[in-house]
Amino acid sequence: MKVYLDAVSTTALDPEVRETYKNLLDKYYCNSDALYDDGVAIYDMQEKSRKLTAEMLKVKKDEIIFTAGASEANSLAIKGLCLNNQKRRHLITSIYEHSSVYNSFRQLENDFGFEVTYLKPDEKGHITPEAVKNALRDDTLLVSIMQVNNEIGAFNDVEGIAAIVKKHPGTYFHTDITQGIGKLDVDLHNVDMASFSAHKIHGLKGSGGLMRKEFVELMPLISGGQQEFSIRGGTSNALSNIVFAKTLRIALENKDKYNSYLYELHDQLINGLEGVATINYADGLCTLVNISTPLTSEVLLNALNDRGIMVSSKSTCGSRKNELNRTLNAMGIDEDHAIRISFDHTNTKEEIEYFISNLKEILDKYA
Amino acid sequence: MLELLYDHIVVRYGELSTKGKNRKDFTRQLTQNIRKRLQDHKNLTYNTLHDGLFIKLNGEDYNVIKEELKEIFGYSYFSGAIRVNKDIDEVKKVTLELANTHEAKTFKIATKRHDKSFPLRSDEINRAVAGNILHNTKLTVDVHEPDLMIYISVDRDFIYVMDEKARGGGGYPTGINGMALVMMSGGIDSPVAAYLTMKRGLKIECIHFASEPYTSKQALEKVLTLAEKLSHYQEEINVHIIPFTDLQLAIYKNVDEPYCITIMRRMMYRIADEICKQRKIKVISNGESIGQVASQTPESITVIGKVADTLILRPLCMMDKLEIIDIAKKIDTYETSILPYEDCCTIFDPKNPVTKPKEDKCLYYETLFDYETLLEECVKNDRIVKVSYRKRGKEDESIF
Repeated sequence: MKVYLDAVSTTALDPEVRETYKNLLDKYYCNSDALYDDGVAIYDMQEKSRKLTAEMLKVKKDEIIFTAGASEANSLAIKGLCLNNQKRRHLITSIYEHSSVYNSFRQLENDFGFEVTYLKPDEKGHITPEAVKNALRDDTLLVSIMQVNNEIGAFNDVEGIAAIVKKHPGTYFHTDITQGIGKLDVDLHNVDMASFSAHKIHGLKGSGGLMRKEFVELMPLISGGQQEFSIRGGTSNALSNIVFAKTLRIALENKDKYNSYLYELHDQLINGLEGVATINYADGLCTLVNISTPLTSEVLLNALNDRGIMVSSKSTCGSRKNELNRTLNAMGIDEDHAIRISFDHTNTKEEIEYFISNLKEILDKYA
Repeated sequence: MLELLYDHIVVRYGELSTKGKNRKDFTRQLTQNIRKRLQDHKNLTYNTLHDGLFIKLNGEDYNVIKEELKEIFGYSYFSGAIRVNKDIDEVKKVTLELANTHEAKTFKIATKRHDKSFPLRSDEINRAVAGNILHNTKLTVDVHEPDLMIYISVDRDFIYVMDEKARGGGGYPTGINGMALVMMSGGIDSPVAAYLTMKRGLKIECIHFASEPYTSKQALEKVLTLAEKLSHYQEEINVHIIPFTDLQLAIYKNVDEPYCITIMRRMMYRIADEICKQRKIKVISNGESIGQVASQTPESITVIGKVADTLILRPLCMMDKLEIIDIAKKIDTYETSILPYEDCCTIFDPKNPVTKPKEDKCLYYETLFDYETLLEECVKNDRIVKVSYRKRGKEDESIF
């Protein structure tokens, strides 16, 4: 039996998305910027997808830039904005951002001389609007705070932070909504930029986007042609962009449909873990639980892997690096023993049960 | 709002009511148009009476239907309604319930007695109902600016209680006045002209002059998109696509530049006229507006219009550009219209077009080449595309 409990790392492709993508692949190969019929047909579909995506996020059509995922979108938002507005030199982010955000800030700090304030989460795992407010300076150019943390699932009051930044003239607010899109509601009214990807919601890898409001000017990081409003050059990955609208639509439909089911799985998991493992964090996204056991993460991961159970010990994007884990460290969680369990509506109660019983066995035997 | 309580929709004819003998035809056409538009709501049942059309919801969603109903021409207003028996106590009960559901402080009752045989007069009904509400709630009467308006309509078989009056599309039921052929370039004006034409009870077909390869497929696609948007008002629109390039090239080869547009427009009217004759269409309609361009001066319009026998109507003739744009935005054609594709009028834009063309000069130019054969070719190669908003949505569904 294979049990996949790493949904915040990535997800399997939705069958409907796969089918549509396959059909498009068979039929369309032309460049979406070509002016003959087949090119125009692809372009039109891509723009329709852009429009539908924008409608679902309640923004304007031309505020959606398709990218090859959230890491690119984060890079583009942060570096693209800062390199274009170099008069202001102060930036604010948090210590527990995804590496694509964190390392963009590090780059701006180390290579371009910006000054960066890294906010630490409070004991509940949150970056509060007050914390942001206190860190704002007259020369603050950008605030970037993630919606949902990818390792503990804590979510931040993005609307509250956005409202505060909005009142601060000349400061932009960016949020990484990769772990929240299609799962949590977010009001982007006061948000200047938001990054997201498709593969966390059963879409294609290498597909995502950046929402950036009309008035936000970015320096292109990939120089090229007219694609994506001349902000992101390169032949469009049009077919991926076309199926993004469907990917998001299905996710949003499922969000409402499976909401109570996901809480049932959550409760089952929490109850099952009682007396078995220490729960480090389970107050955020209901589909993510961070736990610790007496075994080191590596040993537990191996033992679970032998039994066909897939979980992560930390953010998958840092899985092969021996760096200090910023999130767990900030939360005072011993990273050597932490395990992240995440699921979604495609998981079953049997799978959760299978995980719990195997975890018990492993701990009995090796711990 | 009391959508949850509504069990009916009452549609009132308005302007139609003035039409003596033809009234039956009008109400029949209106009912037919409404039934077609609401065909997806299979549970609805219809009752067409002298004073209005009564649609029973049978569980269908009023809020969805409401938006669709607004796109139908030929009636003045409609309301979501609660039907009660012709008994004043029942009316009192329902209106009280209605008053309790609203978060209003003040109210007003307006009764209309379509059935004059009902024992209570309108005023007596008003007083009985208002008295009951005053007695049983904290609401007070405000006849000038009430928070809640309650309309009571005493009809032949039932009494209807309503709390809103929504404006209908106005005008006449599309189709009641026959057919019109709308000349459609793809610009801002022609879709507005088409809309106003339909609103006046004329069912439309569209004619578009395509000059490929000088104009692109996107330009044609744009016209079809516009037609699709307009099809909301009459379900399906036939678009005639006329291959115009050869005739246009002949004009530019033989006619002096200032007269090119004049002659070109005369050719377009001839083709439109011929298609009207073949298809028994009574009216040509277009988006010409006095003075807008050289071909739309009074002199130009006169000389150009002379070639057609069919009645030519120009709904925008006296309208200001901003007024036209307002309507274009309202009917959601503006954004499509301003897409930057060349149409056949802009492609051979002469530098000094004549603003006061003379008919004898036109006739002279037209002796210089055999336009009749070219016209015949145009008419013969007319390609008709049926466009409907219903079809387009379905193709997309699988991808999005």
